[in-house]
Amino acid sequence: MSATAAAPGRPSALAMLLRDAAATVALVFVVLVVLAALLAPWIAPRDPYATDLLAIMQPPSAQYWFGTDGQGRDIFSRCLYGLRVTLFMGLASLLAGGALGALVGFTAAFYRRLDGVLMRLMDMLLSFPAILFGLALAAIFGPGLTSVIIALSIATVPLMARIVRGAALVVMGLDYIEAARAIGMGDGRLILRHVAPNCLSPIFVFATLRLGQVILLGSALSFLGLGAQPPTAELGAMAAQGRNFLFIAPHISVIPSLVIFAVVLACNVLGDALRDALDPRLRI
Amino acid sequence: MKRFWKTLAAVGLGAIIAWPALAQPARNTITIMREIDADRYDPHRSTALAAGEVLTMLSDTLVSLDFDMRTIRPGLAERWEVTPDGLTYTFHLRQDVTFCDGRPFTAEDMAYSLNRWIGRTTPRVTSPVAWRAGDVKEIRATGPYTLVYELNRPHSELLPNLALFFGSAVDRATVERLGDNFGVQGFNGTGPFCWVSWTPRNELVLQRHPTYRWGPPVLENRGPAHVERIVWRVIPEAAARVAAIQAGQADITQYIPEAFWDALRRVPTIQISNQPEYLWDHYLGFKVDRPVANDIAIRRAFHMAVDRPALVRAVWSGHATPARGIINPRALDHSPEADQLVPPYDPAAARRMLDEAGWRVGPDGIRVKDGQRASLLLYAINTLTNQRMGEIIQQAVRQVGIELRVQLFDATVAWGRLATQEFDALFLSYPYISASDALNLYWHSRSRPTPNRMNWADPQTDAWLEEARSAVDPAVRARATANLQRQLNEASAWMNIAHTQLNVFSHQRVQGARAHGLYGIGIYKGLDLRLR
Amino acid sequence: MLRYAAQRIALALPVLFGVLLIGFLLMQVVPTDPATVRAGPQATQEVIAAIRAELGLDRPLWEQFVLYLGRLAQGDLGVSIINNVPVAQELANTIGPTLELMVAALFWSIPLGILLGTVAAYWRGSLLDRAIMAVSVAGVSIPVFFLGLVLIWVVGFHWQLLPFTGRAGPLWTLEGIRAIILPALTLGGVFVGPVARMTRTAVLDTLSADHVRTARAKGLAEQLVVLRHALRNALIPVVTLIGLQIGFLLGGAVVTETIFSWPGVGRLAVGAITSADFPVAQGTIIVLSAGFILINLAVDLLYAVLDPRVRLS
Repeated sequence: MSATAAAPGRPSALAMLLRDAAATVALVFVVLVVLAALLAPWIAPRDPYATDLLAIMQPPSAQYWFGTDGQGRDIFSRCLYGLRVTLFMGLASLLAGGALGALVGFTAAFYRRLDGVLMRLMDMLLSFPAILFGLALAAIFGPGLTSVIIALSIATVPLMARIVRGAALVVMGLDYIEAARAIGMGDGRLILRHVAPNCLSPIFVFATLRLGQVILLGSALSFLGLGAQPPTAELGAMAAQGRNFLFIAPHISVIPSLVIFAVVLACNVLGDALRDALDPRLRI
Repeated sequence: MKRFWKTLAAVGLGAIIAWPALAQPARNTITIMREIDADRYDPHRSTALAAGEVLTMLSDTLVSLDFDMRTIRPGLAERWEVTPDGLTYTFHLRQDVTFCDGRPFTAEDMAYSLNRWIGRTTPRVTSPVAWRAGDVKEIRATGPYTLVYELNRPHSELLPNLALFFGSAVDRATVERLGDNFGVQGFNGTGPFCWVSWTPRNELVLQRHPTYRWGPPVLENRGPAHVERIVWRVIPEAAARVAAIQAGQADITQYIPEAFWDALRRVPTIQISNQPEYLWDHYLGFKVDRPVANDIAIRRAFHMAVDRPALVRAVWSGHATPARGIINPRALDHSPEADQLVPPYDPAAARRMLDEAGWRVGPDGIRVKDGQRASLLLYAINTLTNQRMGEIIQQAVRQVGIELRVQLFDATVAWGRLATQEFDALFLSYPYISASDALNLYWHSRSRPTPNRMNWADPQTDAWLEEARSAVDPAVRARATANLQRQLNEASAWMNIAHTQLNVFSHQRVQGARAHGLYGIGIYKGLDLRLR
Repeated sequence: MLRYAAQRIALALPVLFGVLLIGFLLMQVVPTDPATVRAGPQATQEVIAAIRAELGLDRPLWEQFVLYLGRLAQGDLGVSIINNVPVAQELANTIGPTLELMVAALFWSIPLGILLGTVAAYWRGSLLDRAIMAVSVAGVSIPVFFLGLVLIWVVGFHWQLLPFTGRAGPLWTLEGIRAIILPALTLGGVFVGPVARMTRTAVLDTLSADHVRTARAKGLAEQLVVLRHALRNALIPVVTLIGLQIGFLLGGAVVTETIFSWPGVGRLAVGAITSADFPVAQGTIIVLSAGFILINLAVDLLYAVLDPRVRLS
């Protein structure tokens, strides 16, 4: 997830992004987080599930960077694996919901007859907060990571559809689309070749901001016991378990919460900066 | 659709009207905190401690047990006689007792309650612990205040069992009126407190029984209670309970994880009452007739793979004793030599034994035998202790090639799930007063499917259990229970994990919060409780 | 205006229908037969059969749905599996505390958010603006449970200033107010950021608008310009955006109620789901959704009242 990929046609976007100190830090942090999550099995100092009964609730130290939890497990290793689960949850729902949403958005923009129906449908979906999808799916399928991913995907669909439709409509008003149509280019090719690439910036800005929200929601559901189940190393579930020892070993629950906070903050700062860089009209 | 909105509006309006009524000012009220709720508050249908601790306040039993956990004292019965053959008990009841609704209590009521417990009333109630009442011939009222309790065979521990909350007096009319909702939407007992309301997983409110004067002599105050109201509040988070008692937002709790004990001991505003004569064990039981769990090598491997002393130090922070055999060494009729049959911690030996038994390590590190993976499903109530034990044992047995899948359920549904046959192992914990009491609870083939969730069925076990239960000579009982301990330890039908302690924590403004410990209950009746 | 309202309500109806359909399906997909669920664990076969017939479970699915709607219309949401109490009654007991918590959270967070947003917009680009924006980005990024846990730890445990275990009484008593402070701070805390951001954007827009310039040109006092002209007009989009954020607030409320043992609908929902109490879970989801739809509807209508342009379009 780097900014260069998002803005092939605008070499200045990354440069603009890097001019903002906070955004640079956020970008570096996000890259590091993604790397850490990907490489967790190789860089984690310990097995995240191994219990060491002689080292229970140890505070952070040189040996255990983030300390150990109530079962003597290494919190640093668990956070690395937790990032994996959390990012997987976020990206999976973003991809699934985003793809479906984009499809709806393009369809609505392209086939104007369907626009009314599709967007009404999206408005309906939009009228539910994501937490309700989370509750409903956990009630139907039972608590678990799958329920959370499905819920977050559904909640992402209407948002993405709106963004894509808006962006596609702007692009389609441009002359060269008319030209392409005039020379008899098929709808599918037209979307893929010309419309979609020009909608990438808003999609990218949205995805970055949405990733943060999805991580927040997903970890909240896990915290409530409706998402990832123990002993799975998931940041929200870890915070929930550590809550029991808040007053004698606060690090068990505070550290995973801080990790979530940092990741979401980085996503939001980066998303804001991306929006400013990619879409100068939105800058104030 | 319109009517739906109307209903919604009605619900909303109801909320607004009922709202102020729900919240009463906290005057002369004591709040007791706990971790989990019970599924219902019917003494004859519930066996959970969470039900029992409230039921001792809602009603009374024929006899009571002193703080030494041995001496039987009067309760609803002022005195009693036993025939020399140990078969007939005659109880003389107090004459000044009334139910919460004001109706006088008679021997008829007591006979009805005890008969309901043992499943002899209609509609029939099936208490999983009816055996505690002995092999009953007949329980009848021979006068307004005389109750005759006749047995077919002697029961050496009948009186201590009658002191348990299962023998609580209930009002027949209320039972029949509420039907399935008895102990759910209402209650009517003779206890020092009366039922006000219950919102599951949240709180249960009790109100003082104003005319109560028949408290058991083990307590200083015989009635009525000093406090007007008791609120039993469910607070699932341990940390929240610790902070609440420390900050004085709640008054009493016995549910403080051992990890916090040392810290709370240093807090000047908190008083701690310990009950040294307390027997409560945490165990892991196997369903001995399920595939994989039916292999004794697997069960013994658990004992050898799990470092129980280290586990107990970790989970109970050194405030519990690691278990070896099936019975606490402090319990009456414990057999030290039977404990020697339990295999000690030795993971290397466990691996060797499993290899020899034909369990070969598969590609994922889990052993396989005859196409069957060494994988067990464990069910338990969702408590902090069970979570931590589960994760530690899971890791420990993984090291010897056994997979343990842990599923925890909210306490309100767990009892139902634990009554099924869909799992291989379980965690539970339980109180007892002696070896014979503990073994009789679980291991008789007639106790299947609950509480004998292990599905243990062995005629020899049954014979020894009955011998122990009906023994008049203590030596005979000791011999029979020793045989049982030998047999069960050898078969490794369960892994006993820890013998825990009872500490009742209370804020300094509360007086009289003394740990009792009968069936694990911290505050017995609550008559002595007083706000300074 | 009436036509707009009618249109808007017409849009809400199918959504509500969808919610009811989901509630109905929830009772269909559960592993156990709804009749068994309704009858309770100790019921006999005959009782279950009678309930099956009564509920119309032997009829086609669409007909069952109609029957289900009929029962809902009579306020019959079923009975809790755990304590046999009617779900409607359970809901009636929990809606009050949830509303109380939400109102208490909005009570301080919206004014503060609007103040911060206006200040930031007025001194745009200054250090103050940047600080406020940094705080509000942090505000939208912080997990609700983290904020709650930190407050419990510091205010409740270390300083022992305020209670944090449940509702202590109605809001007009001292205990009630003390008990709601920490939950309201937690829930409102994650709401200040979004409100401040939205207000800042909206005020910036209006500050550069013509009528504000005119007002300035007329020589009106700066305070009056900001308050009367800029902020007042900026409030219109802010109201809508706050309405849209109610969902966010609801999510926060569920977590906050759980952390603080607050006896509201959210805690009831989570408890019902973890204990597989399907009738209660269904009831809470329907009520939360319906409440949410109603709030959205109200916000949209309010918007139309505030902004004549909407009515006409």
